[in-house]
Amino acid sequence: MLRREAGSAHLHSVFERTLDEERRALLGWSLGMVALAGTMLALYPTVHGNAQISKLLDSYPQAFKSFFGVADYTTGPGYLRAEVFSFMAPLLLAILAVLWGSDLTAGEEERGTIDVLMANPVSRRRVVAEKWAALATGVLVVAASLGVVIAAVGPAVSLQVGWEALWATVVASGLLALLLGSLALALGAATGRRGMARGITAIVAVAAYLLSSLAALVSWLRPVRWLSPWYHALGVDPLTTGFSLFHLAVLVLVVAACVGAALVAFDRRDLGT
Amino acid sequence: MANVSKRYRGGGGVEGVTLDIWPGEVFGFLGPNGAGKTTTIRLLLDLIRPDRGTITLVGLDSRRDSVAARRRIGYLPGELALYDRMTPRELLTHFAYLRGGPPWSEIDRLAAQFTLELDRPIRELSKGNRQKVGLVQALMGRPEVLVLDEPTSGLDPIVQHQVHRAIRDAADGGRTVFLSSHVLSEVAQVADRVGLIRDGRVIAVERVQDLRGRAAHVVDARFAAPLPPGAFAGLPGVEGRQVAGDTLHLEVTGALAPVVGELARFDVVDLTVREPDLEELFLAFYESADAAA
Repeated sequence: MLRREAGSAHLHSVFERTLDEERRALLGWSLGMVALAGTMLALYPTVHGNAQISKLLDSYPQAFKSFFGVADYTTGPGYLRAEVFSFMAPLLLAILAVLWGSDLTAGEEERGTIDVLMANPVSRRRVVAEKWAALATGVLVVAASLGVVIAAVGPAVSLQVGWEALWATVVASGLLALLLGSLALALGAATGRRGMARGITAIVAVAAYLLSSLAALVSWLRPVRWLSPWYHALGVDPLTTGFSLFHLAVLVLVVAACVGAALVAFDRRDLGT
Repeated sequence: MANVSKRYRGGGGVEGVTLDIWPGEVFGFLGPNGAGKTTTIRLLLDLIRPDRGTITLVGLDSRRDSVAARRRIGYLPGELALYDRMTPRELLTHFAYLRGGPPWSEIDRLAAQFTLELDRPIRELSKGNRQKVGLVQALMGRPEVLVLDEPTSGLDPIVQHQVHRAIRDAADGGRTVFLSSHVLSEVAQVADRVGLIRDGRVIAVERVQDLRGRAAHVVDARFAAPLPPGAFAGLPGVEGRQVAGDTLHLEVTGALAPVVGELARFDVVDLTVREPDLEELFLAFYESADAAA
């Protein structure tokens, strides 16, 4: 076996290398999350209990309020929903997950490193599984950094939000991002092309967001909103309802389906051609 | 490998390739760029899959027992791409782990042998030094089979020589080396047998020794006086005979003695006898293949 003291290098498995390659990016994204949540929290005292803003928002059309999720803007959960979780935080998490997920195997194929990697005695399935595990770890860590900041700084600005509601929302945001990242991984594994994986996933993400948001306004969209992963993650309003095992299970199942597809597709292909 | 075919949609690939490589030999795989060398090698490594045919490596099916087969192969890709942000030490540690553990002492020894710097990021290394990283990762763990795609491209002559010695050492130690190259002199130096691939088909497999044995000697001589007509005609083994005044050009296969005997009857001013290099032999081969096509 390798003797650690001889080589100072600490990277061993594909999982470790994949995480290590992104360590700076992950730190950056986490800091971005902290900055986003911190800024929003810092502004909260200006709206908290502000009757004028309440009145102003009340005057907005219901459709506007539903779409942008600005109901009860002056309470803790309402403010967080409107400013953090309705769009910005899930979007940033999804961008991280999709950029990274699409790069996991397709990036190695495009850069040509897949040849030396797959010359090693490791199965293609193991490579995909370890890379996905790194993606999941990274995305959930960045999502968690968001929850930690809100939980830690919230009380200082009198932002009150239930423990369960906050973490249910963080987990849902993380799972939504992981779902899109896993889809991008599967598309990259099936085609070997990052650009294609990113493009298709971006279309899916936008469609999922619009379907979930518009379903609140457009009655004929309601019956099909279950098609949108965004609906299962954030459309069901975890900041109010807390953990919904059913909707989280739907997300987990779709993630599992994407990973399964990635494992099978990558195993069958001619690599790097 | 038996009757292996692989076609790409955009053209290219290999067709009906059958090769038997013997344990402990250095097999040179020779052909111009784009002939199918890299395709063949990537089939061996199970990076791409054949449309038809089977490949057996050290008794293992390259598809079904892919992981077990790769455990026994060291591979240097032709278009070597490495993880640029890692240092050689990190990359080699990573691969050593995936390979299940050549000891670091061996990696250190190989790195020293090739004078490879281990702790600078790979992106800062010259092409030659990257190639050394590729060689070390292929050689470490002493795999039974070495598959080297253009191993000396971009290396300076000293390192090329080291690589050739490492290849010979591996073969002398009973390991099998599959070496692709478009440089004939390289193959001639280190290989036991040579396979020639062209347009996706293997058109010849020869022992280097046999090629040499079949090689004609080229004899050029100049004489003090013009030769009489008919001189040197009808001697055994003489093929291309050109006489022009006091100069003579012969291509001789087999024994040289009859020609030398005949030369002695004349007043020779200048004489050169040389063996054509493999380059010329193969070029001749190509031309005849072209003529047949």
